[in-house]
Amino acid sequence: MTDAQAQALVHVFPLLLPEILLTGLACLVFLGGTVRNGRHVWAVVALGGLSAALAAVVVGRSAGQLSGELNVAPVLFDGLTTLGRGLGIAGGIVFVCLSWCDIDDSRAADWHACLLIVVAGLGLVAAANDLVMLFTALEMVSLPTYVMLYLARAGDEGKEAAVKYFLLSVFSSALLLFGMSYLYGLSGTTNLTQILRLQGNLGAAQETPALAAAALVAVVAGLGFRVTAAPFHFYAPDVYQGTSHSAAAFLAWVPKLAGFLALLRLFGYVLPPGVSPRDLLGAGLSDQTPILFWFVAVITMTWGNLLALLQENLKRLLAYSSIAHAGYLLMPLATAPYLRQQQAAIDGIDALLYYLAAYGAMTVGLFAVLSVVRDGGRPVETIDDLAGLSRGHPLLALTAALLLFSLVGLPLTAGFTGKFLIFFGAIAVQAEHAYLFTVLAVIGMVNAAIGAWYYLRLVAVMYLRQALAPPVPLRNVAALLAIAACAALTVALAVPPGSTWYLHLVRRVTLAASG
Amino acid sequence: MDMATLSVVGLMVVPLAAALVAAVLGPRRAAWIRWWSLAATLTALALAVLVTAQFLAVRGVRPPGEHAAATFRPELVPGADPARPHATTWMLLDFGQRGAVQFYLGVDGLNVWLIDLTALLMVSAVLISWPSIQERVPEYYAWLLALGAGMTGVFLAFDIILFYIFFELTLVPLFFLIGIWGGPERRHAARKFFIFTLAGSVITLLGLLAVVAACCQASPERSLTFSIPELILRLRAALEADRAAWLDFQTWVFLALLVGFAVKVPLFPVHTWLPLAHVEAPTAGSVLLAGVLLKLGTYGFLRLALPLTPDACAIVGVPVVGTLAVVGILYGALCALAQDDVKKLVAYSSISHLGFCMLGMFALNQAGLMGSLLQMINHGLSTGALFLIVGMLYDRYHTRRMADYGGLGAKLGGLTTCMVVICLASAGLPGLNGFVGEALCLFGAFATMPELTILAAAGILLGAWYLLTMLRQVFFGPLKEPEHEGRDIADLNGREVAILAPILALCFFLGIYPKPVMDAARPDVEVVAAILRDRTVPLVRPPALASHDRPQ
Repeated sequence: MTDAQAQALVHVFPLLLPEILLTGLACLVFLGGTVRNGRHVWAVVALGGLSAALAAVVVGRSAGQLSGELNVAPVLFDGLTTLGRGLGIAGGIVFVCLSWCDIDDSRAADWHACLLIVVAGLGLVAAANDLVMLFTALEMVSLPTYVMLYLARAGDEGKEAAVKYFLLSVFSSALLLFGMSYLYGLSGTTNLTQILRLQGNLGAAQETPALAAAALVAVVAGLGFRVTAAPFHFYAPDVYQGTSHSAAAFLAWVPKLAGFLALLRLFGYVLPPGVSPRDLLGAGLSDQTPILFWFVAVITMTWGNLLALLQENLKRLLAYSSIAHAGYLLMPLATAPYLRQQQAAIDGIDALLYYLAAYGAMTVGLFAVLSVVRDGGRPVETIDDLAGLSRGHPLLALTAALLLFSLVGLPLTAGFTGKFLIFFGAIAVQAEHAYLFTVLAVIGMVNAAIGAWYYLRLVAVMYLRQALAPPVPLRNVAALLAIAACAALTVALAVPPGSTWYLHLVRRVTLAASG
Repeated sequence: MDMATLSVVGLMVVPLAAALVAAVLGPRRAAWIRWWSLAATLTALALAVLVTAQFLAVRGVRPPGEHAAATFRPELVPGADPARPHATTWMLLDFGQRGAVQFYLGVDGLNVWLIDLTALLMVSAVLISWPSIQERVPEYYAWLLALGAGMTGVFLAFDIILFYIFFELTLVPLFFLIGIWGGPERRHAARKFFIFTLAGSVITLLGLLAVVAACCQASPERSLTFSIPELILRLRAALEADRAAWLDFQTWVFLALLVGFAVKVPLFPVHTWLPLAHVEAPTAGSVLLAGVLLKLGTYGFLRLALPLTPDACAIVGVPVVGTLAVVGILYGALCALAQDDVKKLVAYSSISHLGFCMLGMFALNQAGLMGSLLQMINHGLSTGALFLIVGMLYDRYHTRRMADYGGLGAKLGGLTTCMVVICLASAGLPGLNGFVGEALCLFGAFATMPELTILAAAGILLGAWYLLTMLRQVFFGPLKEPEHEGRDIADLNGREVAILAPILALCFFLGIYPKPVMDAARPDVEVVAAILRDRTVPLVRPPALASHDRPQ
């Protein structure tokens, strides 16, 4: 072990406090679950742990800067780390509330402990600066997810969903490892900062680009599974349908967050300190990425939207909607290299980070609404089950309509501001083949209009049709709180001062990276 | 905050706040909600009059310039900073040093009368719904008032994104108004309306964003601006430097804007949502749809498409939009002639009348633009009134089939008088408001596209034909009442007189003395006309000469 590595270990551990805290608590909860059942106890403990972790992130954010030499450390503390941790913990709090009453007393401890580990894993993905670290962190998100899928719903359906997700997820992890092994083979190091620095040199050697392209494709395929990018999306509808609403909400957002954070780190969209953007652009891996992401984005959003039109089952519909939104989220990855080169006012990555949070708020909120609505005693399954919701629960229906309009992209919701930032980036690209990105923006817009059709169908069912069964009173207070939080966030992210505040936050992340 | 800020912002905040109150406190207080909404719309109307008075006072102080201004000059801008023209200090989405999406409202000659029209028709919409809406009353008035706020916002916006925000937000209330309180086909109508308009307007948003992005790249400091006056200035500078380089770009942007605004107007092939939406909507929805919402499309052309893509308007817009407008005029009129349903007839007549509006606008000269603006206001008044009267008939007899009626003039004298006057105004009888707008549109258009204008003039004839046929069938001849239950049918009551009287008075006033309206609008119409005058030069010049202009 060299001196620098030893130094890194000594300095790095204190900065990992939030993750250590969460994992430690998770172990305690696992143990405690064997002696005591009860959803309330463990939910409160989980909330306490998440709050403590949040406090640790906020307190530690200014102190969390390692000196430049410590770039050999497997973790890195910059704006993206703080943002990723913040999003992860905020999401964790919402998921605890959402699943509070959904989960059996006997399973609550395991469920919440898994959730804590996932949140810790998200923080580590955001901080990873090493291929091994990144892979481990991603698995820290994936492994508990399998357990959670199993816990969420008893019976064959739940098991089927868990097994399906497990097998495909393992397959995608293998693909990711395969790609990473090529990256290691090309550069001789697993440290991401070093790999990114070397990329400029990679492009110069004649034989490397083919290998680099193979690494690129394998890595995108591996992470594409997590973000439900086509053609790795096909598990989503089946798995969502087979599991509970709260687990589906979890799947719709958490793997996406992990996947996009990993993509940002791997491709150097958010650069580690000491690497100048010149080293990356148009060299080695990077000149292939826009093309790849262009195609993946177009196929993902179009396929997701078209198939969503055909769905009758609510969870399948939202699964395809989630695929479609993955397509919008992939657009900035195609445009950002150009936007950064021309120093555009909105660099695509801030749009991506904005939309990740916005998408989380609106889609988790919508799943939460579905989880509290009961159609005569049983959970809602099909679109028709929502009929007449506006008469029985006017406020809930209004919230659902707000979230749906946000998914459509109507103004004064986070969905609009996010789409505006993403599409503005696509249309602002000035490059040799700029028309390609205009075409991308047009395809995206047409997709947004297609999406409007099925989201509007849900609004129409809730407002324009008569209820078939009398309304059932809502008792799930924790989930109602989660819904309120998501709806409030959907609006707060779109109107000042919230919009400006969050935009400045994400821009600090990306500006530090580009300059 | 000063008076101007309060009144301009109040135009939107008052209906919006009233809508919130109605939605929250409304349940179980239906009667109270009606009076509350009436008070809110009357307050908004008073504010609109106040804004107009302030605007006229401010504009009157300014000396009339020799030349037209280079760009729009909104007055009464909330949060205005004297150091920064064409901007405000109220931010919506701040990109730090690089610019911001602003909450930029203002009043100028193009929107001041449209704001008044909106405020007036909102009062009528509340009053006409008084007896006819009995279900889910608080919700209804909440959506209605929210719609009013959104429409006013579109007219007031001077920021390109803010314009789009309000433009889209008008969809939601109307979707619910049609979908919940509409006729038998209401769900289909509401969804078709929503999807058509949304699909068009997302493409429009792309066009608008492309303009902003291009202006950002063209500016030396690479700063973003979303302010419409500032964008016009920047584009003018860029065009003067190198016109040819921008032609392709302009064409694409124009086509993108055309998609969204043409759906809203609606122009011929994308009009199919309109008759459906009109027929299914409750009366107030139809009134606002015809009276104000369709104007959002024409206003979008006037405020954005013409000044931002002047060359493309001249080269692509004149033949394409001109032709579509004339097809719309004739097709709409022929369809109206074939209808048996009074409401459908009025709906198709809207397509026809807005064809004149578009034809005048794409004359691209001052007469045409002024005519187009007047036609917007006139159509809002007269078609709004037509829908109101049809609604009154429907409230009495619960049928809209013309064959069921006959000779109502003998029984409902007041209503018939109003209908005759409004129909004549709509048909363009001199002395009433329709004549001024249509005549100016045709004068303007004749200079640019004489063949099309001659065809369009036939539309006036057809207009008189279907309107008079309808009058004869329903109101003249031997009395024939549709079957109705219970009590005898009475003529106009006080509420209905209050709805129609101001509109009729304005029809006469605008027909006889439109000068004040035109005077207030003239400086800003001249701005657009001046931008277009510079641009239409290459159209008139032979191609061989034009090629010399290009920088080598």
